[in-house]
Amino acid sequence: MFARSGLRSTQRVFAGARNGAINVTKRAASTSSGAEASPVRLNIAAAASTAVAIGSIAWYYHLYGPTAHAMTPAEEGLHATKYPWVHQQWFKTFDHQALRRGFQVYREVCAACHSLQRVPYRAFVGTILTVDEAKAMAEENEYDTEPNDQGEIEKRPGKLSDYLPAPYKNDEAARFANNGALPPDLSLMVKARHGGCDYIFSLLTGYPDEPPAGAQVGAGLNFNPYFPGTGIAMARVLYDDLVDYEDGTRASTSQMAKDVTEFLNWAAEPEMDDRKRTGLKVLVVTSILFAATVWVKRYKWAYLKSRKIAYAPPKDANVQHRQ
Amino acid sequence: MAQLGTVYNLFFRRNYAMLATVFTTAFAWEMLYDNTMNKVWDNINKGRQWKDIRQKYIQGADDE
Amino acid sequence: MAPLTTLARAAVRSSAAASLPVRALSTSAACSVAASGTTSPSYSSPFKGAQKSTQVPDFSHYMAKSSGSTNQLFGYFMVGTLGAISAAGAKSTIQEFLKNMAASADVLAMAKVEVDLAAIPEGKNVIIKWRGKPVFIRHRTQGEIEEANKVNVSALRDPQADEDRVKKPEWLVMLGVCTHLGCVPIGEAGDFGGWFCPCHGSHYDISGRIRKGPAPLNLEIPVYDFPEDDKLVIG
Repeated sequence: MFARSGLRSTQRVFAGARNGAINVTKRAASTSSGAEASPVRLNIAAAASTAVAIGSIAWYYHLYGPTAHAMTPAEEGLHATKYPWVHQQWFKTFDHQALRRGFQVYREVCAACHSLQRVPYRAFVGTILTVDEAKAMAEENEYDTEPNDQGEIEKRPGKLSDYLPAPYKNDEAARFANNGALPPDLSLMVKARHGGCDYIFSLLTGYPDEPPAGAQVGAGLNFNPYFPGTGIAMARVLYDDLVDYEDGTRASTSQMAKDVTEFLNWAAEPEMDDRKRTGLKVLVVTSILFAATVWVKRYKWAYLKSRKIAYAPPKDANVQHRQ
Repeated sequence: MAQLGTVYNLFFRRNYAMLATVFTTAFAWEMLYDNTMNKVWDNINKGRQWKDIRQKYIQGADDE
Repeated sequence: MAPLTTLARAAVRSSAAASLPVRALSTSAACSVAASGTTSPSYSSPFKGAQKSTQVPDFSHYMAKSSGSTNQLFGYFMVGTLGAISAAGAKSTIQEFLKNMAASADVLAMAKVEVDLAAIPEGKNVIIKWRGKPVFIRHRTQGEIEEANKVNVSALRDPQADEDRVKKPEWLVMLGVCTHLGCVPIGEAGDFGGWFCPCHGSHYDISGRIRKGPAPLNLEIPVYDFPEDDKLVIG
């Protein structure tokens, strides 16, 4: 091993001696300008790569760039006003009194047509209802049992683990009962609609007394400027004092719309309270950690930053002169 | 000054003592922090949470 | 050719350096050095306008004002704090990820079954489903309880007293799965007035204990509780 590598190195030395002259000429050639690529070829390469870049951007834009927009503002629907929802602030929970009112509005008004199928009764316990209230409410409904000994499916009263029942058996029944329009499930509606809470509140309170002059309203439809297309199958449902709030709040149209919107926001994001609390904790901890990290960084770097590197030139007498 | 020296000798001087200190502190600090932040949270959201309004409905159920 | 140009360039450079009217520190040529002594680390730059970057700065404000030991203690304290909070954060993060693997709320909600006992008359069996398995609930009569207690426990295959198998003697709650091969035994049947497994002929008595047949163990008792008088919660 050693012998071989030693041998190779001596070979290289000889080779170097042999090729020395050639190497010198080569080096000389590389420093002269004659071997550089001609400007014409460089220009062509630059132009080609630019063309490829522009072309691929154009192709990408052609494939994915343009989004389809509604043709007119009416088709897009009026933009919902931004409302200062307290529960949407960073460190605020839902107002659970409002959730309770909103659930009452849902139960007495919306539930006639709209389902809330992703919310189980157990979710109400400890957020909106007491255990006993939730159990009583669940027992008002009937659910299918598992098949018994004879394979028959019987009915049993609801339990906390059951989900809210839908007003219609299936989508077809819902369409049939509503003139062909399907009342959507409201469980995730706040997340599902552009504008979220603002949109739902605006929609519920945005019905004018009569459609503006010149507006085209289809048969069986109602005019609502916030609904994309302005023709909505749902008529205005919230009128002042429609429900009787148990906590004595006056049930104005906007109060009900606000409460039910907050309730639907809760239905879509029941984890929000916990999420925001965790978020608060995480933000505080990370800012403490950031400050400590900065301090430790400065501490560790202090000796590097504050050291002085000075060149003290030696005296003439000690310098070994080259040349 | 003397106390500071004691603190240093006790907690920071030996590596295992430092590690033990750090991890014990982490444990205690986490509990303390959780409690404090929960209190802060309840204070920010006073009257909005279910536990604040629960009393009304529990008593209401008992009366009936 | 090449050696020639390098030589020429070097010559030009050295002559330029020599012509500079300063005490140059260049290593290539003319080392006329300021012999001001090695104690002072300052020197004047040969370049115009370079005073700012070549002046040795003053770092005295980096010096700690407090005493050395306080300073050291504080340094350790800060590093330790950083470590402790990071450890707490890491622990919480891992804990949350592990919590993710626990049963979800809808599964937990289904894990308990509530039974209304008022609907079960004395001397009757009721079979309910719990986590996909049948659960036998028997409202035993006084005679049956006495019969279950009369048995000589030590003679049994799986010795267990009746008190150990029930929380209230009139309510017998057990999993309806034969301990032999998992069939569902038939109630009020068999040689011992209890349950009889039709698959391989295991006989259980009125306390659900194995008395005859291939099964090795008594019928299993699930976790249950009586939160109120007429209510049974299994799970």
